[in-house]
Amino acid sequence: MDFKQALTHGFWRDLPPFRLVLGLCPSLAVTAAAENGLGMGLAVTFVLIFSNMFISLLRRVIPDKVRIASYIVVIATLVVLVELSMKAFFFPLSQQLGIYIPLIVVNCIILGRAEAFASRNPVLISMADGLSVGLGFTVSLTLVGSLREILGSGTWFGMGLFGPGFEPFGFMVKAPGAFLCLGVLLGLMNAWSRRRGEIFVQT
Amino acid sequence: MRDIGRLVLVLVVICSLSAASLSYVRTSLATRIEQQGDYYVRGPALARLFQQPASQLLANKVKITRDGTEYPVFFRKDGDQVTGLAVEAAGQGGYGGPIVMMIGIDLATDTVLGVEIVSHSETPGLGAQVEKAGFRQQWVGLPLGSSVALAGSGGSVDAITGATFSSSAMVDGTNQVLDLMNKNRAAILAEIAGR
Amino acid sequence: MDLIILAVGAIFVQNILLAQYLGNCPFCGVSKKTGTAVGMGVAVIFVATLASIFTWLAYYRLLVPRGLEYLQTLVFILIIAALVQLVEIFLKKQSRTLYDALGIYLPLITTNCAVMGIALLNIKHGFGFVDMVVYSAASAAGFALAIILFAGVRERLFLAPVPKAMRGTAVALVTAGIMSLAFMGFAGMGK
Repeated sequence: MDFKQALTHGFWRDLPPFRLVLGLCPSLAVTAAAENGLGMGLAVTFVLIFSNMFISLLRRVIPDKVRIASYIVVIATLVVLVELSMKAFFFPLSQQLGIYIPLIVVNCIILGRAEAFASRNPVLISMADGLSVGLGFTVSLTLVGSLREILGSGTWFGMGLFGPGFEPFGFMVKAPGAFLCLGVLLGLMNAWSRRRGEIFVQT
Repeated sequence: MRDIGRLVLVLVVICSLSAASLSYVRTSLATRIEQQGDYYVRGPALARLFQQPASQLLANKVKITRDGTEYPVFFRKDGDQVTGLAVEAAGQGGYGGPIVMMIGIDLATDTVLGVEIVSHSETPGLGAQVEKAGFRQQWVGLPLGSSVALAGSGGSVDAITGATFSSSAMVDGTNQVLDLMNKNRAAILAEIAGR
Repeated sequence: MDLIILAVGAIFVQNILLAQYLGNCPFCGVSKKTGTAVGMGVAVIFVATLASIFTWLAYYRLLVPRGLEYLQTLVFILIIAALVQLVEIFLKKQSRTLYDALGIYLPLITTNCAVMGIALLNIKHGFGFVDMVVYSAASAAGFALAIILFAGVRERLFLAPVPKAMRGTAVALVTAGIMSLAFMGFAGMGK
């Protein structure tokens, strides 16, 4: 993969969570509002860029046997950093996201990129990969969050859209709505891929 | 053997680097995190209690430790005189865990100004009714120097129907504060004066 | 009685998968056959309960007395990762049958957010020791229940004429949504 590819593949070819079916939990859990989706996506992007950087830097130092353990320590450290800075600078958001911030640590996207990309590529390209996959994830989460917030509460980033006559479709901000919304979006995306002639079906 | 040594060494180095960086960040952000927590979590309760913007009150904070529990105490000043306190306590025994409440105290009349809920995880519609003004009205004007109890055990507080646990957690927190005031009033005022 | 209510609430009302959205990767990944779903479910019950006990002890005995609560995430994930390794080694040595049945699911569990999630929820709810054990086992049982039921549905779905674009994960998610809707009917039971 060359540099340009590393920088762009996260936006369509490996777009999480739709094309790269990883990181489903946060995509469902924090997307009741667009703002939460955006915040979560950016937090994951931060962790992804720097975990890729450190793991790529350390790739010749870390012995194969303790590979996963070392990755976990690096990732967990970054997650705690995010946790602390969110509490210090974005307190309401950190309350909203709750336990899903510490759960970034078990987000398979991050360990997946570390293992599949950063552990065998140089630093800069690994960071580019982290940036692209992370921003792709952010875009997806914000999209799902916007859709659910607009339909489910009649607002977008907290701004009222429809006036008082609108009866919100409350189902969308609850758990079943999350599953349904993600499933239907995934289906639409597959249909679009098929029209473009890409053969791609998640198994 | 050398191999294992290297494994351990690498892990130890990574872990210590991580611990060092985290404790550094933690120390530099600690005050800011506490202020943010006060502003967003305690601020609203404080503002309602004293009927004035929380930003004027949040800086007036001391912490009193008693029997291993730390009680955050906020105070209101009129000129040089400390006229009111707001003591936070966690009432134990709620249905979904402790109920954190803030109890306002009028030092001029030695009575309770009122109670506000800071946070709780009680059942919506049942225990969550502790937030309702009608229930909390029972606190207004309670004298210091006494303790409270639910009406069912001979006291004066009428429990919320169907939410005895939540009601008794409220009573527990209130008694913690009343007891703290009775035994440590001088110490609290000295702490405030010493700031 | 309170413990029963707690357990029922954790299995049905606050189902870890369908109401709290934890553990979705294995939910979609290993739910194609009932057999594998049972294996994953049992492995999760076992590891989640064990991990909750150790993380709870670590939090209240090690971190809280030293004022190190902020290290929670780091410590928890290390405990879970180490525990999964130990369980794997132990099973390999002690019980060949159990290892053959559960062994392949164990590595997957380290990154299963249900296990980490239950450990974090225990702390968030401020449970005592007994409540914590009951809640963890019940939540994990809720995960097992959901994944096994779901596998049953997916086995049938395999034979259904699903539109091409919706095949695989897409239809699985929609199905999960409908199941989640059914589980919402339990709200009001328990707590």
